[in-house]
Amino acid sequence: MAVETPNLFPPLDFEKEMKRWKHVFQVLNEPEPKIGHTPRNEVWKKNKSVLWHYPAKQKKYAIPLFFVYSLFNKPYILDIAPKASVIEGLTNRGYEVYLLDWGEPGFEDKNIGLDTYIQKYLRTAVKRALRHSGAEEITLVGYCLGGTIASIYASIAEEPIKNLIVATVPIDFSTIVGPDKWAEGLKDGTINVDRFIDVFGVVPPAYVEGMFRAVSAPIYFSNYTMLLNRAHDSRYVDKWRRMNKWTTDQVPFAGEAFRQLSNDLFKENKLVKGELMIGDKNANLKNIKANMLVVSSSNDNLVLEPQSLPIMDLISSEDKTYKLVEAGHVSLALTGLFAVVVDEWAASRSNPL
Amino acid sequence: MTTNRPYDPYDSFKKYSELWEKQINDFIYLWTNNSEFVKMSKAGAETQSRYLEAFRKNQEALAGVLNIPTKNDLANVATLTIQTEEKIESLEEQIWDLQDSMKTQSKEIETVVEVSKEIIKLTKQLKTELVKTKKELADSKNIQSELQEMKLELSKLNTFKDEFEILKNLIEKDKREEPILAGAGSAK
Repeated sequence: MAVETPNLFPPLDFEKEMKRWKHVFQVLNEPEPKIGHTPRNEVWKKNKSVLWHYPAKQKKYAIPLFFVYSLFNKPYILDIAPKASVIEGLTNRGYEVYLLDWGEPGFEDKNIGLDTYIQKYLRTAVKRALRHSGAEEITLVGYCLGGTIASIYASIAEEPIKNLIVATVPIDFSTIVGPDKWAEGLKDGTINVDRFIDVFGVVPPAYVEGMFRAVSAPIYFSNYTMLLNRAHDSRYVDKWRRMNKWTTDQVPFAGEAFRQLSNDLFKENKLVKGELMIGDKNANLKNIKANMLVVSSSNDNLVLEPQSLPIMDLISSEDKTYKLVEAGHVSLALTGLFAVVVDEWAASRSNPL
Repeated sequence: MTTNRPYDPYDSFKKYSELWEKQINDFIYLWTNNSEFVKMSKAGAETQSRYLEAFRKNQEALAGVLNIPTKNDLANVATLTIQTEEKIESLEEQIWDLQDSMKTQSKEIETVVEVSKEIIKLTKQLKTELVKTKKELADSKNIQSELQEMKLELSKLNTFKDEFEILKNLIEKDKREEPILAGAGSAK
């Protein structure tokens, strides 16, 4: 009668469970992790926007990098954690890095449109960075919507832009992620943001987050179960906390800019057609002659590859490269992989000292 | 059925949660991805906008009566500050331009100063050389005058020589005439 007794209660790793719950309570109770560790100094400030300068550890390249981040979310994703930070990676590799932080628009900034952002903020910031660094040329690096803004700016810029790097950039809005009927509604004018913006002035952060949620996953809780599942690993918990802080830390969106984004880009796709007007200038991508690197990430579920790819045929640069990287929309910056990609391409084009 | 792996209740929980999440989202996607939903959301957004608009208008009116500022008033004040900031910025840029032009000018001036310094050096050299030549000229003049004197003296000497010659001739004449005179005397 030697029947093996089934082990109804498999052994429980007590220590692991203790660690798990300790970390979970930490996440719940402790203050949010400190972010932005790379030494930097303020070069210029205007309204809510700040131009930061991250000095190179040992300067190896004459041409500095100028980061233009998206108007959605905050740019500290580029400097999220020690050793995984894109900016830290680049300063360690010998680049002078400038970052334009758009800041959080308030109700008084409801009239700031894309043209104001480009002409009065980005252009001035580039000028300041050029003057501050004493360099004769500059490399623009645009991430996500920042890439779209950088490309628009580069097409009307008078400043000496030698290289233009855009990553996970939406250029062609004929394909949009999210339910196709919504896209259809947006194109035929059923969904119109004009009235909404007239009332709200600036788009509140909750709405911005809601919009992203709606197109990707309206109900989203697997990140919490994922945390619970791996909470015994303190490194994972640290990474999770930083990522969670960033994703929930949304910024309001200036109304006029949102209107232009929605009407001129999403609805009428003017950038690809070459009809976009910035102030009195026609922002035609054909005018871009700078050396160009376009980076797309293969697992991107927010900006699809067909949205970035058309820029390659629209620009008139002679030196242009397209690179598909194995990463997601955010993980490209989150893991610091972007620094490697930028360095590989920019090293030979940044006038090594 | 026995496993040596420690019991991890969260693993299956995670798997189920992911499944639920995906199913719910797929359901929502199916439920919302139609033109009826889009139209409905449009109607909803319009109603909300209208309602909010009316509410804001009333607020403004009420705030006007109560004499208190609203968000709009504050925004207007903030815009003024931003405008001032922009003006200061443009001033700063103009100062930069001025600085730049000053720098280039001062550089130009420096080069001019250097050139003029060299010119001064050259003129000084020329001056000393001029003094030298003047001195030499004076010397040569002196020599000339001395030469002239010498010439004069020489010419004087020449006349003296002539006179001497005449005298010599005379003496010789005298000498020749004397014996005749002696001869004549003896003959007497």
